[in-house]
Amino acid sequence: MKLRVQLQCKNLHEYLRELSPDLLDRLYNHPATCLAVYRELPSLAKNYVMRMLFLDQPLPKAAVALWVKKDSQKHHDECVSVLSGLRLWHSQQLQGGLQGYILNPVFKDNLRIALLGGGRAWADEGSTLGPDRHARDIESLDRYAMERWEVILHFMVGSPSAAVSQDLAQLLVQAGLMKSETGEAPYITSAGFQFLLLDTASQLWYFTLQYLKTAQSRGMDLVEILSFLFQLSFSTLGRDYSVEGMSESLLTFLQHLREFGLVFQRKRKSRRYYPTRLAITLAAGVTTSPVSSYSKLAPTPGAGDAGFIVVETNYRIYAYTNSELQIALVALFSEMLYRFPNVVVAQVTRESVQQAIANGITAQQIIHFLRTRAHPVILKQTPVLPPTITDQIRLWELERDRLQFTEGVLYNQFLSQADFEVLRDRAQGLGCLVWQDVPRRVMVVTPQGHSEVKRFWKRQKSHT
Amino acid sequence: MCADDEVSLLVIVVDVNPIWWGQQAQREPEFTLSKCLDAVMVVGNSHMAMARTNKLAVIASHCQDSHFLFPSKSWRGADNGGDDASSSGDGKYELLSVANNLIAEEIRNVMSKSEYKGNSTETLLAGSLAKALCSGQEMKSRILVIKAAEDCARQYMNFMNVIFAAQKQNILIDACVLDSDSGLLQQACDITGGLYLKIPQKVALGQYLLWVFLPDLEQRSQLVLPPPAHVDYRAACFCHRNLIEIGYVCSVCLSIFCNFSPICTTCETAFKIQLPQMVKPKKKKLKQPT
Repeated sequence: MKLRVQLQCKNLHEYLRELSPDLLDRLYNHPATCLAVYRELPSLAKNYVMRMLFLDQPLPKAAVALWVKKDSQKHHDECVSVLSGLRLWHSQQLQGGLQGYILNPVFKDNLRIALLGGGRAWADEGSTLGPDRHARDIESLDRYAMERWEVILHFMVGSPSAAVSQDLAQLLVQAGLMKSETGEAPYITSAGFQFLLLDTASQLWYFTLQYLKTAQSRGMDLVEILSFLFQLSFSTLGRDYSVEGMSESLLTFLQHLREFGLVFQRKRKSRRYYPTRLAITLAAGVTTSPVSSYSKLAPTPGAGDAGFIVVETNYRIYAYTNSELQIALVALFSEMLYRFPNVVVAQVTRESVQQAIANGITAQQIIHFLRTRAHPVILKQTPVLPPTITDQIRLWELERDRLQFTEGVLYNQFLSQADFEVLRDRAQGLGCLVWQDVPRRVMVVTPQGHSEVKRFWKRQKSHT
Repeated sequence: MCADDEVSLLVIVVDVNPIWWGQQAQREPEFTLSKCLDAVMVVGNSHMAMARTNKLAVIASHCQDSHFLFPSKSWRGADNGGDDASSSGDGKYELLSVANNLIAEEIRNVMSKSEYKGNSTETLLAGSLAKALCSGQEMKSRILVIKAAEDCARQYMNFMNVIFAAQKQNILIDACVLDSDSGLLQQACDITGGLYLKIPQKVALGQYLLWVFLPDLEQRSQLVLPPPAHVDYRAACFCHRNLIEIGYVCSVCLSIFCNFSPICTTCETAFKIQLPQMVKPKKKKLKQPT
């Protein structure tokens, strides 16, 4: 029985905390990164940073602790830990011998530049190239972005019409979303199923994180790529930017982004590029609420519109869409009943949900999927989905969770009760006893504790 | 983490009375109107940098009218493709540099084109506040007033109406006073739940704004901020706009007068007041000397 692998969608701060300290310091060298990191802080921490932004000397820790009221002390502690974990500030000894806080100077300078100017330009504005004869408006950019992103999702679902580059297929395999046997086309894994049911913003962020992990192995500079990504996320929609001054690895990165649908470039050699809405919402990532970010991402109807699913209390799902991808996604956990030119009717049954769960999808993901694609009419009622349906999906999932598996090593065929008790007490003392049956003199020990218990038993036997 | 999707609007109302600022430039040359606007822009930028959904509006309050410095033409500043104003190539976040350029341009227009008569040091604060209230209709908003010149007693009525309207709409009014205390603004802050602060050092305006006025309502509940000042709640009479402690109140429309008048000027109700009985002084007969 396979243990289910949960898809972990880290947010920006968790990702940054895992980076090494000098990598972080290099990262903070760009105003866009500092602004992106600043935006993700808890609001109290933002105020702390703002207060210390224009100070050049360290502030005593006691003074900072006095900034909050007595009952908000735990908020203060949380902020202190967040700011220290991201290396945004560090302790420094003051002249009087007290401990003080001072903002990371690199971060401070670059955040000041982001707010007030006085530094280098982030990227060349397209204005040096003159107006674009083939300018694209925002609608066509959105359409392009959704089209490219859906090709990737189609490829994962296995539609024959979707074709992606070798690089991208390899990235999907490395990310664990697809598996490929040698010589055969890759097919989707259970993590891939879970990925499909996420909302677009989370999918983008997860995908980008996976890409960043493999970036170093490709010989790309992680800091450069991350800075460029954050810069993109702060650009204005509908405005073109020039590729002047971008290094080789950045240009390759740009081509990859073009394939994901994050930027639009008319031709490979084109000197200007347009960021799409997907890129701009990228850094907003996992922390914004899924409903609003999804509705901003898909304004065009028919190709994954915001909200097209109606869930009724008789376990019926009505999906007002004719996009193959959305229908395939709904079919993952429900039984298709009827199909019309603009509606698809499906029923959520025990078999269909349990089959989805056998494929690795959790009930929470199904419910999240339904909630994020809920039709605007349904969004007006509270709760959005009927509680009967959500509870029943969870119950069907629990039906499969009746057994809990723990690995262990079995000890049996003890010659005497005394032997059994000695060994059992030893295992209990080490904290690795999982289960015991005294009348039958059988016990189970964790694999980690097994070697220690075995050594102890051998010593015992050699004594007696 | 903060998942704030609500649009949060900060309206900054700046008092640009040219006479007061002109005198100020002679008193303290290191703190002029441009320095004040720099501080305002820093606070505005910080507010917009805090969250993607934060919006900013800046209104300049002049002697007889008020102008929107930002946003100047349309409301959807963030979705524009950055058509007219090109961003400065100095590393500032694009959105902020567009906003700053617009503000700088507009204030230049306002100060050079406005004509004013007389040498009154009054500014039309009530009008600016009313405009600010109108712009903050659909979203959570708060108003920050930076006051330079003194209070104008003639605006008392309009001011109180604006304050009560703001209280009804749950809009905070904060006040940052540069020179002389303002009773009207103290009342406004007290009624709407905002903060009132008279700055000891004008040069440090930016730092005061960042420390005290940048946090929004829920962050204020966690931070320790300056306590409320003693408020002068005296009303102004409707006839002369003087602040009075004891006066006459019309029982129909509740308007306040300092002197009795038989007809209320607001609602035109006639009143009769019982004057105390006049006792005619008895003529004392002079005793005739016999």
